[in-house]
Amino acid sequence: MENNHTPKILIVDDEKGLRLGTKRLLESEGYLVETAENGLEGVKSGTSTEFDLALIDLKMPDVDGIHVLREILKAHPNTVCLIATGFASYETAIESTKQGAFSYIPKPFTSEELLQKLNQAYYKRQLLLEGEKWKKEREERLLEITFEKTRLNTIINSITEGLLVVNKNGEAVLYNPSALKYLDLNSITIEEHIIDKLHPKIAELINKFLFAYKIERKSYSTQIEPATDKQLFIEATSSPVPNPDGTLAGVVVVLKDITGLKQIEMLKSQFVSMVSHELKAPIAAVTGYLHLFNDGTINLTDEQKKGYIKRSQLRLDGLLKMVNDLLDISRMETKTINREIVKLDVNEIIKNQLELFQLQINNNKLKVNFDAVENLPLINADRDEMARLFTNLISNAIKYNKQNGSINIKIESSERYLIVIIKDSGIGMKPEEKAKLFHEFFRAKNEKTKNISGTGLGLSIVKRIVDSYAGKIEVETEYGKGTSFKILLPIR
Amino acid sequence: MAKIAIIDDDLDILDASSIVLTSKGYEVITATNPDDGYKIVKKNKPDLIILDVMMNEPDDGFFLAQKFKKEKFNIPIIMYTSVSKTIGMDFGINEMVPVDDFVEKPISPEELIEKVEKLLHSQVGR
Repeated sequence: MENNHTPKILIVDDEKGLRLGTKRLLESEGYLVETAENGLEGVKSGTSTEFDLALIDLKMPDVDGIHVLREILKAHPNTVCLIATGFASYETAIESTKQGAFSYIPKPFTSEELLQKLNQAYYKRQLLLEGEKWKKEREERLLEITFEKTRLNTIINSITEGLLVVNKNGEAVLYNPSALKYLDLNSITIEEHIIDKLHPKIAELINKFLFAYKIERKSYSTQIEPATDKQLFIEATSSPVPNPDGTLAGVVVVLKDITGLKQIEMLKSQFVSMVSHELKAPIAAVTGYLHLFNDGTINLTDEQKKGYIKRSQLRLDGLLKMVNDLLDISRMETKTINREIVKLDVNEIIKNQLELFQLQINNNKLKVNFDAVENLPLINADRDEMARLFTNLISNAIKYNKQNGSINIKIESSERYLIVIIKDSGIGMKPEEKAKLFHEFFRAKNEKTKNISGTGLGLSIVKRIVDSYAGKIEVETEYGKGTSFKILLPIR
Repeated sequence: MAKIAIIDDDLDILDASSIVLTSKGYEVITATNPDDGYKIVKKNKPDLIILDVMMNEPDDGFFLAQKFKKEKFNIPIIMYTSVSKTIGMDFGINEMVPVDDFVEKPISPEELIEKVEKLLHSQVGR
């Protein structure tokens, strides 16, 4: 035998002597032998187990060998069957091979004849198994390829970045839905010439590779605004796709939405310009006054001098406040605040803040209604942060108030929160202003606010502090009538 | 003596600039926003306008200058700027920005007077 596998054979024969004699012979030759003494038993054995070979007697009392042959092959097409017959004739030979027998062997047969036939049959069996194995492997491989392809497509279609592949003739080969959006195209047809349909800057990125003398192993990037009306910024990056031999197969373009980055960039520029403007304005004002003092040709009265010194002082105070606000923001941003958490009485903090603002309150003829609440739960917080929180809110209630207006401060507590409500009778806000209230550098700009100075950072700081204590802030406002801030700080 | 209009939303700048100019004998009128600025210029027909670029909006000054130009006021304009370069409005004097000179804040009285006198004299031959 050709390999170390023991061939398994089924002998179906109603003649006991022949059955046993053959069994003994084949076992001595290394076969694993099973026998069946009639046709039905043969069918039962041959179908329940897959044999390598089957030697089937043609004439049996119950069912004939052809029936057994058919049944076995139906169950196991790779079992190689031989028909043994004492009535060998041309017809029976043809019939049995027609029904799928490998060969037939006339009875009586010699040991040599039988072994030779079985050898051939077993060789056939091995070829069949080999073939089966290859077929199965091929099917599995095809399945795998199909699966891989579908999976790859699904992945490509799922990525948020746009993907477009063009061949070296500039024809579209592959794209995903995001690419359509980012290229501002309604459709792409595979194999259409796509370059002329693209944004010129992307076309240029692709052409750099298509028109190059040799393939360049690098990428080019550009930023575009595909459609001016869509507020969309795209970064396109093109890279060459090489053939296995190193020549250019095509170009792959990856399109990435960078609108968010652009917005951050814009915010940054806005930040820089706002800060510069706000910092420069008081410097210019104070410098202007100092020039007056220094100019020998200008005569200032003592009263004027006093006034300008006072104004300069105010402008410098404002400048300092702005710088401190900026530092606070930056500190909060880098989370480098060193908090000192202590038990605090909010009554006391608000009282202190009101005292600090007393001059401004008097100047604006504002009426402040605030009664300290007895047995108020203490909160765990950093004193400076709480002071900063209420400074900003009270300062706003003063600045954005009207002459002879009022400020009502109320403290209450619920099970979970200490609640402070600061209500002013001031100029209020329009809904669109309220929406942007906590944005950095946002300041309501209208006739009523034009003479109010501020950094545009105060409420942004307030929000950050409240958030950092897992608190809440609620705003109610009516343009022209006033604003009410409700601060909820958790009691722990 | 010549009449000068200063339009700026910063009261301190208005004050200091007015003192410098009145000390040199100029008559000064002021406004703190573009609307009032337009009104005092139309009413008083000054010989020169000093105009701040950033008031309620970052480009209020430009629009006002364009309005004066469109309505053929034919009055020289000095534009006060502070951060125009930072926000990318790095401009020259052209159709879009019809002003005669730029002044970066803060400005010394000598410089202000020099610019004002230069512009007023160049007007004599117009």
